[in-house]
Amino acid sequence: MKVIRHSFDGVIVGAGGAGLRAAIEAAPHMKLAVITKLYPTRSHTGAAQGGMSAALANVEEDNWNWHAFDTVKGSDYLADQPAVDILCKEAIDSVVELEHWGLPFSRLENGKIAQRRFGGHTVKEGEAPAFRACYAADRTGHMILQTLYQKCVSMGVTFFDEFQVLDIKIDDGVCKGVIAYEVATGDIHIFEARAVTFATGGFGKIYKVSSNAHSLTGDGPGILYQKGIPLEDMEFYQFHPTGIYRLGILLSEAARGEGGILRNKDGERFMERYAPSIKDLAPRDMVSRAIATEISQGNGAGPNNDFVYLDLTHLGAETIKQKLPDITDFVRTYVKIEPIDEPIPVQPTAHYAMGGIPTDVDARVLSDANGTVLPGVYSAGESACVSVHGANRLGTNSLLDIVVFGKRAGQSMVDYVSSTKPMTLSDNAAEDLSNKIDKLMNKDHSLEYSVPRIREELQNSMEENAKIFRTEDSLEKQTEILADLRDRYQNVTISDKGKVFNTELLEAIELEYLLDMSDTTVASALHRKESRGAHSRVDHVERDDVNWLKHSFAFKNGDSVKLDYKDVELGNYEPKERKY
Amino acid sequence: MKSVKRTDWGRRTPPIGGSNFELYAWFFMRVSGLFLVLLAAGHMFIMHVFNDTLNLDYEFVAARWDTPYWRTFDWLLLTLSILHGTNGLRIVMHDNIANKTSRQLALYGLYFTSTAFFILGTYVLVAFVREV
Amino acid sequence: MDVKVNILRYNPETDRKGHWEEYILEADPDERILDLLHKVKWFDDGSLAFRRSCAHGVCGSDAMLVNGENMLACQVLVKEVSTPIKIEPIRGLPVIKDLVVNMDSFFDSYKKVMPFLVNDDEPGERERLQSPEDRDRFEDTTKCILCAACTTSCPVFWTADTYVGPAAIVNAHRFVFDSRDNASKQRLEILKGVDGAFRCRTAFNCTTACPRGIQVTKAIEDVKRETLTIN
Repeated sequence: MKVIRHSFDGVIVGAGGAGLRAAIEAAPHMKLAVITKLYPTRSHTGAAQGGMSAALANVEEDNWNWHAFDTVKGSDYLADQPAVDILCKEAIDSVVELEHWGLPFSRLENGKIAQRRFGGHTVKEGEAPAFRACYAADRTGHMILQTLYQKCVSMGVTFFDEFQVLDIKIDDGVCKGVIAYEVATGDIHIFEARAVTFATGGFGKIYKVSSNAHSLTGDGPGILYQKGIPLEDMEFYQFHPTGIYRLGILLSEAARGEGGILRNKDGERFMERYAPSIKDLAPRDMVSRAIATEISQGNGAGPNNDFVYLDLTHLGAETIKQKLPDITDFVRTYVKIEPIDEPIPVQPTAHYAMGGIPTDVDARVLSDANGTVLPGVYSAGESACVSVHGANRLGTNSLLDIVVFGKRAGQSMVDYVSSTKPMTLSDNAAEDLSNKIDKLMNKDHSLEYSVPRIREELQNSMEENAKIFRTEDSLEKQTEILADLRDRYQNVTISDKGKVFNTELLEAIELEYLLDMSDTTVASALHRKESRGAHSRVDHVERDDVNWLKHSFAFKNGDSVKLDYKDVELGNYEPKERKY
Repeated sequence: MKSVKRTDWGRRTPPIGGSNFELYAWFFMRVSGLFLVLLAAGHMFIMHVFNDTLNLDYEFVAARWDTPYWRTFDWLLLTLSILHGTNGLRIVMHDNIANKTSRQLALYGLYFTSTAFFILGTYVLVAFVREV
Repeated sequence: MDVKVNILRYNPETDRKGHWEEYILEADPDERILDLLHKVKWFDDGSLAFRRSCAHGVCGSDAMLVNGENMLACQVLVKEVSTPIKIEPIRGLPVIKDLVVNMDSFFDSYKKVMPFLVNDDEPGERERLQSPEDRDRFEDTTKCILCAACTTSCPVFWTADTYVGPAAIVNAHRFVFDSRDNASKQRLEILKGVDGAFRCRTAFNCTTACPRGIQVTKAIEDVKRETLTIN
């Protein structure tokens, strides 16, 4: 196998919003490479729709403290409040900066950036829904991704497109670089770099019905987990209330922000019962639970009573065309109905990982629950857990997270690189990876141990046992299933033995990350004996602040998971009952 | 197994920028096209509608060319149609002849032919003297 | 129902040229073309290569030629195309393997038109102002996802291997008509050469091919006219 060497000061893995934002910060100060398994503009940031919150107060009175309050309350008080303060305070400059770089926000008549309402965002700590989400129609993520990439092009940032990072080299607790696989040729590349940022996004593909791209397989968290780095708060996985029925394609919360209403089979606006004050604009965990509850009580629509309706028919054709053009196009394309005239069948869809690689507010990766920093390794965006989202993320805060903490990751790389000397890696640094690849290439193919079979069983079982509502029984059952799948994975085989664009090989390696993500999710969920945010235990329905106001840290322990805990950092807001 | 190098697959990237020639050529096609519609329509009506081509004879042509007006009319028709047509063919050749040498040869051939026809036409128009 | 699918396969390590392979697949009429490709890859031949990511028409990975027309495989349902379904790589770019083409020159062309906002004026602490009307002027071309469906449907691009192609011009348009940008003139200078915007012959293939519904040919005409205006 051919091995090619590169030497950089810093490497960023992943070219979505967080990776590109970090690159813009770091590139002028070091020899930097951005490595992505796709092309940068294919990253899933581009699929984000509704908006990016910041207390600009362009429409009505607002300030970042209210934003922080909403974020903490939305997180079910699990977010670290000092980090939330940073997020909400820096939000304002971040939005303005993106505008200065050319982001085509929708505009108000006076020329300022337009803002809309979004779930869980309120004025005066819960009084009424707030106009806080800055948007560009319903393709805000697309615009952010394009703008950041354009900025990188203007700066001449070095990209390695369609290179997949599959290993990190950490010697004596210090980062030395990463090993990547070139998809087009099958060559292995050693990247020497003393600062490495993982911005690899989420892992929604552990579930069957998901809004996530096929590429979202938890690569960054998986690589670090296998090196002994813990994963934080993995039990908190967000289900977006409005995925297109069966397909899981996202229909933005902006639809409800603009006035859309959820209805059950009788046409009842059921959210009035679950969140009397802000109704359909309640946070996602509550709305998803409400939908799941309606369905389990037989109030779902359709022959199997397994979906509800998102009703936009009263908004008018003009509003829909101006403000929600993309999502209504998705409905026309995939469901073949006209959303101006008919309600849309929706169901909750796996959407966002609140958990991930533990970091501090400077995006530095932590190697244990005591806050020990792993020198030279950073993470930002969905792959990271700061934690600003706690047990449940508010809509629009993810786009904020990627720019605020992406920038901080870039700054941290600059600080670290300027105070350290280059690292060298020997030629045998790629040995672990080439052995792993050789093993897969040399094994005879058998259908029973094929990647799609194991992955399909993984996704179906996670969907059944570890989705919105969880019980001790379902999680224990899932633990057993995962152990069995892990055994089978030891013998996984592929049929393609070629070097050029062997995506079957990559899917096999990604499957291991998916298993890691599932293991840690289920283990963390099994041990957390309370319900908080997106984690709902039917057998422990109450939130328990006495015992569980803490973050879980899941470590790899052979083939099982070991857990540790860290107290939540509180601030201005004392945990209170969460009502809307 | 053949080894594969990524750079083997490249396509040429555009040599970008240049003079205003393409801009003016593009604009000329639109303006000349408009004029040609009028001139050609005029020509057609005179030759085929108001007169019958069967009746056209030396005397008819010579009578028209007695006035500088009709000589200018015909010379404009000649010039614009040759320029318009040549540019159109130039575009077709640029688009469809991928080999650079063949393309250059074809283009030189085109320019030579067009120039020859233009000179010939102009010579006839200017040098024509009525035989009494 | 059973669906017959023909895919143009090519493996550079074993084949000298491409060949058609036929697959009979059990499929639901509501499934995407992409789902069919996954069925082949996951349950028949794991070596089938194609790009895909988001699977709902926003990432731009899976532009391909389906029954002779460029489209995103994830955006078209089985019931919308006639059978047998013929799937080929997009035209005009070198094929790497099966349905995967080399995109390098496509992105090189994109990068040549200065696809970024240029404005060196001090912007102040808050956002620059822009009226909704000014914002609307370039709305259409902001939708581009760089999938290459337009460029590789262009008959000029197929033969002239130096033409920048519709996608690059669309991305120039996005900035030329942005009231905040100060580099329109430079961009139009770049595009006025023999391989620039005036190479467009208004075949309209690009407009038909665009999965985002961008009026590509119109955008190119806008660029041509703007070039005339500033000269």
